[in-house]
Amino acid sequence: MALMCGMLWRLLLVLVHVNRALVSWLRVRLRSWKGRMWERAVAALLLPVALAGFPDHQRKLNRNTGANANTLPGSGTSTHRSRCLSDGRSLEKLPVHIGLLVAEEEPSYSDIANLVVWCVAVGISYVSVYDNHGIFQKNNSRLLEEIERRQQKFLGGDGSKHNVEFLSNGTDKHHNVVSCRPTVKVLSPEDGKQSIVQAAQQLCRSVESKERSSKDISVTMLDILLRESKNIPDPELVVKFGSVNSTLGFLPWHIRLTEFISLPSHRNLSYEDLLGALQRYSACQQRLGQ
Amino acid sequence: MIGAEDVVIVKAVSWKIVKMSWIKEGELNLIEKISANVLKAGPMPKHVAFIMDGNRRFARRNNIERQEGHTQGFNKLAETLRWCKHLSIPEVTVYAFSIENFKRTKDEVDGLMELARLKFERLLEERDNLEKHGVCIRVLGDLNMLPHDLQQLIAKAVITTKSHNKCFLNVCFAYTSRYEITNAVREMAWGVEQGLIKSSDVSEPLLSECLYSNNSPNPDLLIRTSGEVRLSDFLLWQTSHSCLVFQSVLWPDYSFWNLCEAILQYQLSHKSIQKARDLHREHQASLQLEADRVCVAEHLQHHGNGKPADVQRRQEELQHYTTCRQERVQDFLKALKHKRDSYFTDLCSDGVQA
Repeated sequence: MALMCGMLWRLLLVLVHVNRALVSWLRVRLRSWKGRMWERAVAALLLPVALAGFPDHQRKLNRNTGANANTLPGSGTSTHRSRCLSDGRSLEKLPVHIGLLVAEEEPSYSDIANLVVWCVAVGISYVSVYDNHGIFQKNNSRLLEEIERRQQKFLGGDGSKHNVEFLSNGTDKHHNVVSCRPTVKVLSPEDGKQSIVQAAQQLCRSVESKERSSKDISVTMLDILLRESKNIPDPELVVKFGSVNSTLGFLPWHIRLTEFISLPSHRNLSYEDLLGALQRYSACQQRLGQ
Repeated sequence: MIGAEDVVIVKAVSWKIVKMSWIKEGELNLIEKISANVLKAGPMPKHVAFIMDGNRRFARRNNIERQEGHTQGFNKLAETLRWCKHLSIPEVTVYAFSIENFKRTKDEVDGLMELARLKFERLLEERDNLEKHGVCIRVLGDLNMLPHDLQQLIAKAVITTKSHNKCFLNVCFAYTSRYEITNAVREMAWGVEQGLIKSSDVSEPLLSECLYSNNSPNPDLLIRTSGEVRLSDFLLWQTSHSCLVFQSVLWPDYSFWNLCEAILQYQLSHKSIQKARDLHREHQASLQLEADRVCVAEHLQHHGNGKPADVQRRQEELQHYTTCRQERVQDFLKALKHKRDSYFTDLCSDGVQA
């Protein structure tokens, strides 16, 4: 009996993986087809699609169908900057800070650079990039190069006026959030729990030296202290890439009200996919406890 | 004069209270049993957390009173606990009331407090049943924000079920994660004030031990219903490496199959998350070792005789320092536990005197 259950379970997993692969393949093939074909194909796979980790794919799809009327052919490289700006303005709300959480092995610098450039073009002022191995942190110069290259291409030589401010560990002590330049920040697990622990140590040291009492410690105090060393605004939206359903240590303190949108992969991601995620975000309602 | 109408009302109310049991008995049906066994062939979460969202929308959709929506939500909780028992999931944490919810209208807040009173009173009535099933109830949150009589009821419930150890239900009430983390920092600062620990002893594992949830392992799976895709200040520290599943079903409509779907998602992400958890733990351990080394180096500098210490001496000092630190931390945690237990026993004895 146990053996049969074990086999059935393995079969179930295989079915889900096959389904996911099928849906991914269809996504790529049907991207340039009319929206309806795609809808019908997905509807046929709908229940398994839910299991494959594409929550609310249908909702996202409906929104994309609306956007498809203006779809530009090809991948993102030919997307015009002014179009991005108008797309951004047409959304009811845009996040001030968007987090790009790469939960996949071996990230692709070129695809991430594309995403960063599009986010900035759409009008988002703070873009962070995170992976739980700290790969982007270790190779941040390479990422910066890619981003600069994409920006040049995208803006066609007009880049110098719109350069982003690129921050990695330790360089943003004096970062002024009010600066008009959009900011790109590379994050790693150190910016999460470790930062909270460091702030806690600082508070405990001040208690040790009798500068304050433990009773003085409040949420506001801890919050201010956290932002003193690394002034990272709370992300309103995190787009997670990959099939792993976890935040993998991303900024635990900052994500209390963050909306999470999952996309299957950051590789070969199109501008339309990103826009779809932003449209989903702009439609969500936050009741803030009420 | 008590008329027939009044009897009907009394019956209806007491039936509602009977319906509001914390424990639902009953086996799974055949198909459910088979599915459960198939799922159990794979890795199973040992601790599941729920954000039970959607009671009010459920009430609107079904044209019933909002309060009734919350009541149905509670019934669904009892049913979910039954399913978890059959799926051999020993621990469940639920987000019952956020500190942010105090912002709702006075009527709604009072209604929720009243529902909580009824629930905890009911729990005390069912204590034999809870003992039979070995259910341990814990309530996590800034409980001093609640009305005093509710605090006393909660204290009684927690103390009554304290020794049960077959399954655990953690109810987050007057809770937000930021308040919980801040409270943990405050407790560590208290430890420093009392001379129990040093500020250099503050670490990630120590902070975890000071959270309200310190008696539980981190949740393996977090499920939020009603289609919202955010954490709303719930267990932010504890779920950093948990599987997050967002489902669009409203909480009072939650079914056994929704739970199975969530568990399947957990099983699909299991290996990757396990890898990430291990990586994090290793990194944390090396940070701790480094921090200990720094402390020992400082100590040797201050108390040495000017000559650099040899490798063996440094190693011995490191060993000694680590052992002392661990002892300090254990003593501090004992004191913290005593402080927290006293809070509940004091409330209980208040109740007795009153």
